[in-house]
Amino acid sequence: MNTDKKTLLAATNLSMTYKTRSRTFRSFEHHALKGLTLEVKRGETLGILGRNGCGKSSLLRILAGIVHPTSGQLELQSGLTRSLLTLGLGFRPDLSGRDNAILSAMLQGKSKKQAKATLETIQEFAELGKFFHQPVRTYSAGMRARLGFATALKTDVDVLLIDEVLSVGDTHFKHKAEQAMLEKLNGHQTVVFVSHNAGQIDKVCNRAIWIEGGVIRGQGNTKEVAKSYRQFMNELDKEKGV
Amino acid sequence: MNSLQFISLVDTQARMALKAEASKLYLSYLWWVLEPILFVLVFYFVFEVLLNFGRENFLLFLMCGKIPFLWFSKSVNTGSNSIVQNKGLINQIDIPKTLFPYTSIQEALYKQWVVFLVLFAMVMFYGHWPSLSWLWLLPVILAEYLLILLCTLLGAYLVAFVGDFRMVIQMGTMFLMFSSGIFWDINSIGDGQLRELLMIYNPLAFLIDAYRQVLMENAMYDLQHLALLSAGLMAGILMVQIVYRVQSRTIAAKVVAG
Repeated sequence: MNTDKKTLLAATNLSMTYKTRSRTFRSFEHHALKGLTLEVKRGETLGILGRNGCGKSSLLRILAGIVHPTSGQLELQSGLTRSLLTLGLGFRPDLSGRDNAILSAMLQGKSKKQAKATLETIQEFAELGKFFHQPVRTYSAGMRARLGFATALKTDVDVLLIDEVLSVGDTHFKHKAEQAMLEKLNGHQTVVFVSHNAGQIDKVCNRAIWIEGGVIRGQGNTKEVAKSYRQFMNELDKEKGV
Repeated sequence: MNSLQFISLVDTQARMALKAEASKLYLSYLWWVLEPILFVLVFYFVFEVLLNFGRENFLLFLMCGKIPFLWFSKSVNTGSNSIVQNKGLINQIDIPKTLFPYTSIQEALYKQWVVFLVLFAMVMFYGHWPSLSWLWLLPVILAEYLLILLCTLLGAYLVAFVGDFRMVIQMGTMFLMFSSGIFWDINSIGDGQLRELLMIYNPLAFLIDAYRQVLMENAMYDLQHLALLSAGLMAGILMVQIVYRVQSRTIAAKVVAG
């Protein structure tokens, strides 16, 4: 790895190929990532831009250590803790918001006691009222997202990987979430933030990478990357006659 | 995640799942007792009323086999789907994948002790009073628990890779139901060698016979056999755990792509 101590994560030539069975003994191959090289430095907020299906989520899963890349290498500083925040997944619909919040905290390595101690702030932040004690299956999509965000905010890790969180909830909650995120970002938190929304990336990140079709199309200054991404999307619109 | 956190998480998840299940039904926790009692009634109706089986205490004989078997088959069948069912969570966080089968087994275990109480009540109803020798059931229950663990861990692993294994596991438990001496007594196999082979290669047959020895005959099972079986099972579990540890991300990739 780079001898630079500031580098927390270094990915070299990452590729990810999915194989799914389509018919008996036949499979469909999808190359989600095709040789990506990138670094994440301590304390920075790295934005990853790209439209749906460009490989953003695959990249996050690899960076979070959930899956291995099909090829390529991921090096990280020893003892590095990472957490991937995605909303709507992982909740058990039959359990109450409270129980889900406890489980989420425990899954991230907290003891039951510590998990219970965070409940009050989560309940307050999520603004679920009495629904907090009802099964999550009775929640609206927005309520589920609020609970997800509130639980996610409580994690204490070296690198936080965030998947399109701010695009949920009503305007009030969106502002609140953005503010809470910025507070975390202005601290020493290292964040990798993924979105298909150039404006959002521009607002919170200090460096950006634009991925299209599994390869890096642009990286560096957030404003410039966001600009070329927007241009690309506009051209796409024209092409399709939208 | 250290082992203490793992155990605490398994316990918490299992308890919460039970609570959620109970809250969905009107009779809630009462079902834990009702379910085995209804089972007994169905069997009573079929075997004593309809078929009028002559064998003495046949109903009790049946329940001593069926109740331990149900624990096994329910745990293994539900637990084998546990990894696939938790796709959402696996997609999100790098956790030991054994967490899911263990939680599922634990959930079944918490229900099972109530079911065992119903069984013991029935044994007493038939005039076999509890004695200190009933304590010999504990090693049998522990061995069955180990058997369930090994089978479920293997099952969940296989199903994560090839979904078709779910069908194979269902067929397998069906085969075990007929070959473990639930409706018949394995001691009635004339060929001694064959009986020995069945006892060795189908641990469930041995265990069910052991339950009956203690509860009905006030006799002792082959303790050495049980010790060897338990040691073998523990070695097997250890090996499967290692496979899980090494392949944790391969399993995740498979489930995510699923």
